Amino acid sequence: MKRPESASDLLPPEKKKRKSVSDEEEEATEAPDLGEDLVLEVLKRADARTVARAACVSRRWRRMAEDERLWEAVCTAHWASIGCGTHQLRSVVLALGGFRRLHSAYLLPLLQPASRPLSGPFSPGIAPASGGRWGKDEVQLSLSLLSIGYFMTTNFGRK
Amino acid sequence: MKREHQGSGGSSGGYPPPPPSSSMGKEKLTEEESQEAGVDELLAALGYKVRSSDMADVAQKLEQLETAMGTSAAQDEALLSHLASDTVHYNPSDLSTWLESMLSELNAPPAPLPLPPPLQTNNYGSATAAADSRFLFDSSVIAPAESSTITTVDPNPIHGPPVNPSRDRKRMRTSSSSSSSSRDGAATAASVPAEVSSVVVVDSQEAGIRLVHALMACADAIQQENYKAADALVKQIAFLAASQGGAMRKVAGYFAEAIARRIYRPPHPQQDCGLDSTFSDILQMHFYESCPYLKFAHFTANQAILEAFSGHRKVHVIDFGMNQGMQWPALMQALALRPGGPPSFRLTGIGPPQPDNSDALQQVGWKLAQLAGTINVEFEYRGFVAGSLADLEPYLLETRGSGAEAGSPEEAEAVAVNSVLEMHRLLARPGAAEKVLGTVRGLRPKIFTMVEQEANHNAGPFAERFTEALHYYSTMFDSLEGGGGGGGEQQDQMMSEIYLGRQICNVVACEGAERTERHETLVQWRARMARAGFEPVHLGSNAFKQASMLLALFAGGDGYRVEEKEGCLTLGWHTRPLIATSAWQLAG
Repeated sequence: MKRPESASDLLPPEKKKRKSVSDEEEEATEAPDLGEDLVLEVLKRADARTVARAACVSRRWRRMAEDERLWEAVCTAHWASIGCGTHQLRSVVLALGGFRRLHSAYLLPLLQPASRPLSGPFSPGIAPASGGRWGKDEVQLSLSLLSIGYFMTTNFGRK
Repeated sequence: MKREHQGSGGSSGGYPPPPPSSSMGKEKLTEEESQEAGVDELLAALGYKVRSSDMADVAQKLEQLETAMGTSAAQDEALLSHLASDTVHYNPSDLSTWLESMLSELNAPPAPLPLPPPLQTNNYGSATAAADSRFLFDSSVIAPAESSTITTVDPNPIHGPPVNPSRDRKRMRTSSSSSSSSRDGAATAASVPAEVSSVVVVDSQEAGIRLVHALMACADAIQQENYKAADALVKQIAFLAASQGGAMRKVAGYFAEAIARRIYRPPHPQQDCGLDSTFSDILQMHFYESCPYLKFAHFTANQAILEAFSGHRKVHVIDFGMNQGMQWPALMQALALRPGGPPSFRLTGIGPPQPDNSDALQQVGWKLAQLAGTINVEFEYRGFVAGSLADLEPYLLETRGSGAEAGSPEEAEAVAVNSVLEMHRLLARPGAAEKVLGTVRGLRPKIFTMVEQEANHNAGPFAERFTEALHYYSTMFDSLEGGGGGGGEQQDQMMSEIYLGRQICNVVACEGAERTERHETLVQWRARMARAGFEPVHLGSNAFKQASMLLALFAGGDGYRVEEKEGCLTLGWHTRPLIATSAWQLAG
């Protein structure tokens, strides 16, 4: 499978004309159009950045990249289990705004190491998640924040 | 009032011995005749006229006098009685001359001043240690100015005329590792040797310090019912506050307004703020957004509740202060994701009567019910309107599960009672807190979570309460200064300041039943809870970790600090805890 740089090879034929210059320079061979299901399967195994980049390729790809299944995979691949079942988790998270939102708004900020060292003598084990892993507490915190965000922004309508 | 000075710069150098009395006296008199310009305001309010530039000499002479009297008293009692009755002094309000005449009576030689001790900087969060940092080191007020804006103060108010230097010596403290706030400004901590015969002098031009002093002197004046002095000081406070920036100006403004309300006695000082509980809900929402204190409260309390609910199929939460219900979505989500599935969740929300008869309680319940629906949690809600928590009776809250419905213990309904910043209001009426705690006991809860401000704003003497509050709210406002991003954040910050300002107004201007912001410390609450038959439940390390992580998400997160104190968690700004979460269960 070619790297994302040559994702242009997977573009629908009508778009290839724009890329023809670089294609000629690279002498890239035309790859078969894999179909959405297969693309999705591939992206499911990709990391968040790759999926995000894929969303920039074309409108069709963007729709694919916004698929919640992808982001569910992105989230759950690298986080500690909180003990509930997959279906249970899925239904709750989707109801509260989805995995993509969970990742971008709440998980991602927890991933970045603090630019300032976490202060205080009593901060055991708050080392920032390394290598893209989120511990149980990060997961629970982000889920809580997701639910609060949902509650605050959703217009429930008057009784 | 003794003043001390750390001059790291050479501007102080050695101090000259006091000039001959005659020339000094003449200078003083003429200048005082011309105008009160340059006269120290604080002493002026107490009836003494001392030029600000002469403060150094006055302090030094006071020291000498004290030393001389001390030594001579040991040897010659006759001298003291001579001083007391036979010497004639003119112009007692002219401290400097008076002191000189006293000293000449005692034939005390002028003592050369030792060099000032080296300045020890306390690098609390701030990089700028100004070379010529000077600050006031008062007898009873410690002002280790980490900045020109916020100073911390010792909770002892200024007392009476400053002719008693001996007791001050003992109360001098060395460096301020204690609290203080603020990031900007000049540096700080004083390291003063305890054996003080060295008199060091401060240039008290620091407006920020003068402002704090003016505030505290004003509080003292009010406590002594010297409203004339208080009035003079209020005007001065307003003037000094205008010269400040940032948090200090805002805090001083709110305190000044509160003092003014107290002095001029409008019939209902709090009501003039013109706000009803709907608006206060809105204010609290902004406070919720702009800083982590309430989020911390909710998260830590929820963690304790979750743990208490583990294993139960039916759970019931009674919230003493429903407001906008912001605590409950996270709990419901956590229950929804419980291994084995969610329990059935019952929520009873208590709130104050709404002036416009709108049913805010029901609206919140409705929203939560819809949320519960989307995440498949069986949900039941009931709202109760109560002017005071003390109006509640156990039977009203209808706990189920201890009767016929309950089969095995797991089938019984587990009850959690939750109070965020509500219990302290009960202290305005004697016996109310005990009654409510009795009611809580009657509910037989698995856990009672309580969040309160970590401060003692309920002490007897007004000046003490005032000083505590000044310290507390200065720190609070300082922590708010961090968020200065987009427009939305600024509005949050502004509304949060108004929210806190209302509390300040209540603490300072109100009394009796109207004074509802009667904050007490964790230590005090512990005692009260123990008397009421509760024992502490320790909050776990995951609550601590989640709280710490939460802070990292906030701008300025490095100033916030989570601490664990005997099983309770506190969140504060730098070294000053500001809010505390504790959990309780029935004893025995």
